[in-house]
Amino acid sequence: MENVLSILFCLSLFYVVVTSRVKAYVTVLRFQGIILSVLLVIPFIYNFSIFGIILPATLLLVKVFLIPGYINKVILDLDIKRRIEPPIQQMIFLPLVIATMIIVFLASSILSKITELDVIPFASGFSAIIIGIYLIIFRRKLIIHVCGFLILENGIFLFGTAVASELPMMIELGTLLDIFVVVFLMGIALNRIRGTFAGFEATHLGRLKD
Amino acid sequence: MLEFSIFILIPLASAGLCYLIKNLRVQYAISLFVSTIHLGLSLAVFLGLHHTLLPTFFGVDSLSKFFILILSNVYFWVVLVSYSYLKRPVMPRAEEGKRFYFMLLNFYLAANSAAMLSSHFGMYWVAAEATTLSVAPLIYFYRNEESLEAMWKYLFLVSIGIAFAFIGILLLTLSAKGTSLAGGQLFFWEFIRKAGQLNPIWLKASFVFIFVGLSTKIGIAPMHSGDIDATSNAPSPIAALMSGSLRLTALLGVLRIFQIIRPTSSFEFAKTLLIIGALLSLFVAFVFMFRVNNYKRLLAYSSVEHLGLISLGLGIGGLAFVGALYHAIYNSITKVVLFLMAGNIHSRFKSREVDKIRSVLNVLPKTGWLFILAFMAISGIPPLGIFFSEIKIFEGILFSDKPYLLAVVMFFLLFIFVNMGKIIFTMLYKKGDDDKLQSGVEKFELTHFVAIVLLILLVAIAVAAPDKVNLNIIDIAKDFGVKL
Repeated sequence: MENVLSILFCLSLFYVVVTSRVKAYVTVLRFQGIILSVLLVIPFIYNFSIFGIILPATLLLVKVFLIPGYINKVILDLDIKRRIEPPIQQMIFLPLVIATMIIVFLASSILSKITELDVIPFASGFSAIIIGIYLIIFRRKLIIHVCGFLILENGIFLFGTAVASELPMMIELGTLLDIFVVVFLMGIALNRIRGTFAGFEATHLGRLKD
Repeated sequence: MLEFSIFILIPLASAGLCYLIKNLRVQYAISLFVSTIHLGLSLAVFLGLHHTLLPTFFGVDSLSKFFILILSNVYFWVVLVSYSYLKRPVMPRAEEGKRFYFMLLNFYLAANSAAMLSSHFGMYWVAAEATTLSVAPLIYFYRNEESLEAMWKYLFLVSIGIAFAFIGILLLTLSAKGTSLAGGQLFFWEFIRKAGQLNPIWLKASFVFIFVGLSTKIGIAPMHSGDIDATSNAPSPIAALMSGSLRLTALLGVLRIFQIIRPTSSFEFAKTLLIIGALLSLFVAFVFMFRVNNYKRLLAYSSVEHLGLISLGLGIGGLAFVGALYHAIYNSITKVVLFLMAGNIHSRFKSREVDKIRSVLNVLPKTGWLFILAFMAISGIPPLGIFFSEIKIFEGILFSDKPYLLAVVMFFLLFIFVNMGKIIFTMLYKKGDDDKLQSGVEKFELTHFVAIVLLILLVAIAVAAPDKVNLNIIDIAKDFGVKL
């Protein structure tokens, strides 16, 4: 089951790479949030406890409703152009992403011989981390950078479930809160950037240098 | 529970109060009170007068005692001068920033104390990220284009850096698979005790991710750029706070994983990585000192240089390790003085560009002289602190297995000193065309008082070398298995 969900997660990454609609990013974020929440719920299907359900519920709330909802609001409020003009073509970006994924999956399967780990969630998580960074590097729009950062965070989360580390609930909630506040502050900053720079692209941010 | 309240809960509560209370003077009084008891308790804990008992996920050891005292000290002086700083005239749009200033400062104190006292990697991560969140809006205090860009870059780069550190923490869990640590909690002390069992490949990967990730916050090259922009565009007290304490909070995270890696076969790898980061930082400071034209950026590069020196000392080990810890104290104190004086210059000349600042010694004699003294301190002129810590670091390098590094370091430091001196003395002595600025006698302000006290403190610690400080540093060195 974890493997199926991880593969769905990978497919969502491909969608992000080929789409040129800003809104599609928000949809993908919601979709990934649902996958991660389901992944957290699976252990409780046979062994239900009210206490254990708090974390998946919070994750669902933050990653499926609050953050994507907030980003949607920012896009609407700021009237960001709905299409992105990528500085590198989709046809170059997609092979790059596929090549990266192949390398990550091969490397993970080699590493799984040293340590026991779930190859598919591990590699999917790591791919998302790298693709998040690609989005930040190869896209100009700042709102896409925020989405890239969130995809990276989702990747880390999936990666974490593969590593099977069980952080205490309080700390997991703390990390979720931190991420939410980061996005919130980025939203406020974007709002100000519109007023100050009259644009939302990274090329506008070039004043500070030596 | 009392100490937990004073270190974390009361600052949090006072952040809430500062949000509710609109009067700036009351906010200041509350913050000053909180910072005073925080400093008092940190001092008591450091001197061993108070035995601390903290809840799960928190704990005190010689390293956290040392770092929290540095934080408390810097924070106290920064809060003390903040009110007079906020009273200075600013652009009307910056007025809005004042409302949240003390709230964010208190939140910063709570988050930073939590990071320093945490005994669990997860807790450390949450708290370290919270410090970024509290500082980012403070960088945007002036509400202008530069500060907005600086805030965006800082928030973004550091958040990604911290995300990398989180990957490092997950890899650390992976390194514990199949050992008695598997499935347990990520407590530092448990990992340190059983470090020998960890899988070396994952441990190395974990160190790389944590070090590179936290470098964005420490300001180690090549991840330093967000930090430079932030420090140079934040208001001076905040820049002092960042250079004096926030960088060390991130360094603490690196030290924790460094402590875990020490008894393992991967130790040499970690040391090499620290040394490479350090040399790159010195190189970056060396290069940019030639071309920098903004005195606050100059000071920010100086922070990169000194954090580089600290990392170098930690990486070399032995006496250099002890020197690096002393350097952390001296650098934090000196940076507060430098940034506060730079703030005075900025509020008079309304510019951060070196070319627009002339004859500071005539226009602002008190600030000018204190700036010279602080510059001498940061350059390692005796008896001002840094001289002694640098000597220890250099001696450590000389007697290590890599003595040739000393030549490289000396070369970089010499040029950094010459270029920094050239810029600062031009600002202080060179006569300007504008005579309007020449008139007037500078009033003795609170910032001058604080600068004098801190410079005296710098000399006092260096010359008197209090036993408690020395013993604590020796204890830290012992925890890290450093042979002296």
